[in-house]
Formats: sequence, C-alpha cells, structure tokens
Amino acid sequence: MKRTTIPFGPQHPVLPEPIVLDLILEDEKVIDAIPTIGYIHRGLEMMVERVEYTEMGFVVERICGICSFMHGMGYCVSLESIMNVEVPERARWLRLIWAEISRVQSHLLWLGLGADAFGFENLFMHCWRMREEILDIFEQTTGGRIIHSVNRIGGVKRDISDTELAAILARLQQLGAEFKETARVFGTDPSIRHRLSGVGVLSMEDARAVDAVGPMARASGIAMDTRLSGTFMYDHIDFQPIVETAGDCLARVLVRLREVDQSIDIIRQAIDRMPKGEGMPLENKPRGNPTGEVFTRLEQPRGEVLYYVKANGTKNLERFRARTPTFANIPAMIKLVKGSDLADVPQIILTIDPCISCTER
Amino acid sequence: MANPFRLPMVPRALRNLASKPATRLYPTEIRPRFAGARGEIEFDLETCNFCMLCARRCPAAAITVARDDRYWSIDQLVCIACGVCVDVCAKKSLTMSEGSRHIHTKAEIGPDGRRPGLEEWTKPAPPPAEINTAG
Repeated sequence: MKRTTIPFGPQHPVLPEPIVLDLILEDEKVIDAIPTIGYIHRGLEMMVERVEYTEMGFVVERICGICSFMHGMGYCVSLESIMNVEVPERARWLRLIWAEISRVQSHLLWLGLGADAFGFENLFMHCWRMREEILDIFEQTTGGRIIHSVNRIGGVKRDISDTELAAILARLQQLGAEFKETARVFGTDPSIRHRLSGVGVLSMEDARAVDAVGPMARASGIAMDTRLSGTFMYDHIDFQPIVETAGDCLARVLVRLREVDQSIDIIRQAIDRMPKGEGMPLENKPRGNPTGEVFTRLEQPRGEVLYYVKANGTKNLERFRARTPTFANIPAMIKLVKGSDLADVPQIILTIDPCISCTER
Repeated sequence: MANPFRLPMVPRALRNLASKPATRLYPTEIRPRFAGARGEIEFDLETCNFCMLCARRCPAAAITVARDDRYWSIDQLVCIACGVCVDVCAKKSLTMSEGSRHIHTKAEIGPDGRRPGLEEWTKPAPPPAEINTAG
C-alpha cells in the first residue's frame, strides 16, 4: 500500500508547545512516527558556564513554567548535597508543601488541556478555574504565580505563617471537594469513556521496556514513584503511589485525577507534622564554591526528573544536566503512536502530558 | 433527549447558567495584589553608597552601577524580580514594590532609542568638605 507522510506539529491544536512527529501512514493507520525536537531549545544547560552557581537557580527555574518550583528545588537540593549544607527542617517541609501544590496545579492544567483536546470545553474551563485558585495561593506565599524564586541554596527565602498554612489547607480541601464533581465527570461521562477507553494501551511489560516514568508508568500498573525513596521529608508522609492497570488513555487521566486528591492529603499531613512557630530558621547559607558531582531524583508531576551537577571549585559549574520526565516518556509515546489510528494520535500525545520546554531546555 | 444522569456535566452546566461568571471584567475590575507579591524594584538614591553588590549579584544583569559617576540604573524589562538585590543591599536602598509591574510598550521608546524600561539615577557629587571627613 502507498504510504503517506503527515507532519504532526509543530503547530497543532492539541499541542501547547512545538514538537514534530512525522507520521508515516498506511491508509488511516500510523505505522511509524519520527519525532523531531529542538524548536524551543534555549541552551539553558550551557548557561552554567557563564552564570554563577548562585544565580543559576533562577535560570533552572525557567526551564518550564509548570514545574518551575520543582526545577528550582532540584537544583538547590543538588548543590546542597555537594556542599554539605544542612537545610533547616521547616524549610524542607515548606518545600514539600510547595512541591505538592505545584503538582495539583500541573495536573489541573493538564486535565484542562486534555478536556480541551477531546472537545469538552466546559470541563476545560472548570479545571482551569480551579487552577487559578492554586496560582493565587502561589502568589500569596511566594510572590509569583508561575516563577516562584523562593528556593535558595541552603533553604527557602520565605516562610508561610501557621495561620496562613491553615487557611491554605482549608482552601485546598474546599477545592478538593469541588474537584470531586469534576473528577466524576472525567470518570463517568460516556463521551469521555468512549473517546479514551482502550486508546493507546501501554502494557506493563512495554512500559518497563521503554522506561516510562511518572503517571505514564503508574497507569500501566507499575508502582513507581520517586517520592517512595523517602527523601525531602516524604518519609514522614503516609501515601501509596496511585496505580491503574488498564494502561490506556483513560487510565492516565484517572491516575492524575486521583493524584490531585492524594497531593491535597499529603499537604494536610505535612502541615500536621511540620514544626510550628514563628521566626524559625529557613536558610543555612553555603560557604565557598562547590566541588564534586551529584545526581538528584525528584518526582515531578510528569514523572521522575534527574539532575546531574558537576562542580569544580569555581563559581561556575562544570556541567548541569536535567533529564526531564517528558524526555523519558517520548519513547513510550512513539511506541503508542505506532499502530494507532491517525485520529487517536492527538489523544495519545496529550496523555503523556508532554512538556516540550522541559524536554529541550 | 439524552438522560441527564448519564451526562454528569449537565447539573454543573445548568448551575453555571444561573451563577455569576468566574472571571472579572478586567479593566474595570482589578483584583488587588496579594501582600508580598513581587512587583518592581524601587530604588532610593539618598541611601545608596554605590557598593555595586546589587549589580554584581543580579542574575539578569539588569542593574548597572558606576561608582565614580555615582550612577545607578535598572532595566525593568530585563529584571526578573527575583529579589536578590533587595536581600544583598546593605544600605536597604532597594525595596520590592507589591504593585503590578508596569507594562512597557514600544510606544514609550524615546527619540534617542532608549529602552522603555530603563530607569536611571545620578547622585550629585557631595560638596568637597564631606569628602574630606569621609576620607
């Protein structure tokens, strides 16, 4: 049969960011997909050569506008472990809280984009309305809605008072109750089920073979979550990774839906267990320049992110590298796209929650 | 007509018809900024001693200081409002405003081609007597 090549992207209604897939089709079936990335490569990793390590945190934060807090946190944690800086306990708890709030924010954003992609405009608006409230919490606590700039090497810059924390928790729990209605729509609406169920099935074996990470792996039945390693105060939190076994697009939606509730519960536990009081130390400033190398792993909303930092005792790092979750999920995405219908490709691409800015840095 | 119980968004959609809009009529109704929100850097010329620490530590290189000319400038379009300069300033000459950041437009480019966000200060030289006591 004659083959047709259709370029998917860089501009496509479902893609918030540019990526190209050259889809090779036989009739309506995709038999091969060749990804091309590099449209928004900004050379941020290269900037370590001319930006001092103290300033680089602000650059790393700008890798992505959705997981900006966790990027900043990953960079600071990497340098803290190289420089043996002990981070005050309250600062570590605050980081966990902000990280989980940004997970809620990211999932709400993605659920909205997902709803938009399968044509459910009303649901999209509701998800983004709720996300707006999370952004308000960020603006209130960090001073910025998207770029937070609260992470410093050795701690955090701002404190959240205990009364403010209680208010935030109340607001989040109210939002969680409101979200239940939206989650029920995602889970039970027949049009959504019809569109997503059985589309883009990634089996557990395939997920392991292509090294899927984050919700992508958890939707295929792999209980993989970097938070289970117990770093960054997660050892004080009771939680189990959320796993679905179907491995299709609907399972990936359901994992993210349930993770929103889980994150709100983690925030509740964190606020319960963190040390209370005003004026507690938040930052231990590092001295001198870093020497050594380190790998740091974090669970971002999209999956595991890996930072590699190599320092040589000067003000500039020798190497900084971020292996972002979308980069790790692209092989899984290609695997799913092959053999699917052309009409299902947008759904499959969207359900990996692609963050191209992260991927290309 | 489709069964509304099988369309779980229908109750919400019906409630939306009766409820107020979730958005604001922006230009007429402006939400006040939260306390502690990061706005623009404000500079106090009186207290500055031109130590240049802010310019050296600014990640975006938005601040230019010339100690000899007693000149201090910030390019608000380059500034990323991270607050590092406010933290390092020993004289507390720099503060972070809580208002929204000013939107600079191309129309503001001056006849000399100056960037619209550039704000400059030059402190007049102190009288000679003050230099003697300081030295």
